[in-house]
Amino acid sequence: MMATAQTTQEKENEDWSLLPLVHDIIKCMDKDSQDVHQELAKLKSKIQEAREQISNMPGIDCSPQEQQQQLCTLREQVRTKNQLLHKYKGLCMFDVPKAS
Amino acid sequence: MHFSDLCKTSAPHASCSLIHLFVLYKSSTAKTSDQWRNTRQTEPLFSVFQILEVLVQRDREFQELMAVAQSQGKLHEEMQRLEKEVEKRDSDIQQLQKQLKEAEHILATAVYQAKEKLKSIDKARKGSVLSEELIKYAHRISASNAVCAPLNWVPGDPRRPYPTDLEMRSGMLGLMANLPSNGVNGHLPGDALAAGRLPDVLTPHYPWQSSDVSVGMLPPHHGSDLGLEPPGHNKENEEDVENMSTDSSSSSSDSD
Repeated sequence: MMATAQTTQEKENEDWSLLPLVHDIIKCMDKDSQDVHQELAKLKSKIQEAREQISNMPGIDCSPQEQQQQLCTLREQVRTKNQLLHKYKGLCMFDVPKAS
Repeated sequence: MHFSDLCKTSAPHASCSLIHLFVLYKSSTAKTSDQWRNTRQTEPLFSVFQILEVLVQRDREFQELMAVAQSQGKLHEEMQRLEKEVEKRDSDIQQLQKQLKEAEHILATAVYQAKEKLKSIDKARKGSVLSEELIKYAHRISASNAVCAPLNWVPGDPRRPYPTDLEMRSGMLGLMANLPSNGVNGHLPGDALAAGRLPDVLTPHYPWQSSDVSVGMLPPHHGSDLGLEPPGHNKENEEDVENMSTDSSSSSSDSD
């Protein structure tokens, strides 16, 4: 289970890597084949695809530290409001006077 | 050492193969070219390796940043979930606030009304009236049939809860007005009324009247024949009736 999770994570990491494409380009250059331009186009499209994916990623407008801070603030807000609601729903505001 | 370090630390297989490929490429070209036999042979290789090292490093950094971005994305989802919870709690608090406001309004109204009732109770206690006096007064104002029709009243009965024209003319004011000038009022009924008699034709016959009623008898107070009204109350009752019931819109007015 852990191994499969690690391999999937490695695959995800490898998806972002541009080195295989650079390697293919250099290989083509070494062989003096006509596929160099094709490989260069692949690299270019990969970079463009990465740019588009990054622009669509949510939550990257602030740093991880700021995000953590916001998350802590939100959790504190939820906790405080839950406490308030629990307190006021269970509070008896009307004290019945004792019959004298 | 340099290459092994690169192979260990950099992302994978691609980086190592790149370096090996470059080494092979350059070494193969170095064998054939004269330029590569010079001491400068190592410089292009060294710069190439530097470039490769930078490329591998950048690629590694890029992958790390992408991993951070993915984790930030997950945190962002968690934050969105928490924001929805906060909104829900806010709506619950607003709902509770509205209910408390409504309860406060209702209680304030109830307290105000209770205070007003207590004031009226105190006022009533201060100005208390005996029940016997109330009953006597009620009897006096209702004796002239101004608040309720007589028990034997039927549709067609000319009696009204207010003084009728005949009653007014037969009263003190009518008699006083007609005394100085006889014949001012040319109406026969009026003269007859002034004289204290009515002709037989014009004498109204009502089912409620008893058979031994005299022809010319004037009915200033219709109930007096039947003895329903106590004696000596007429003026007082009329005054009280005028004060108490000034509304002429009685149900019996349009019965005829």
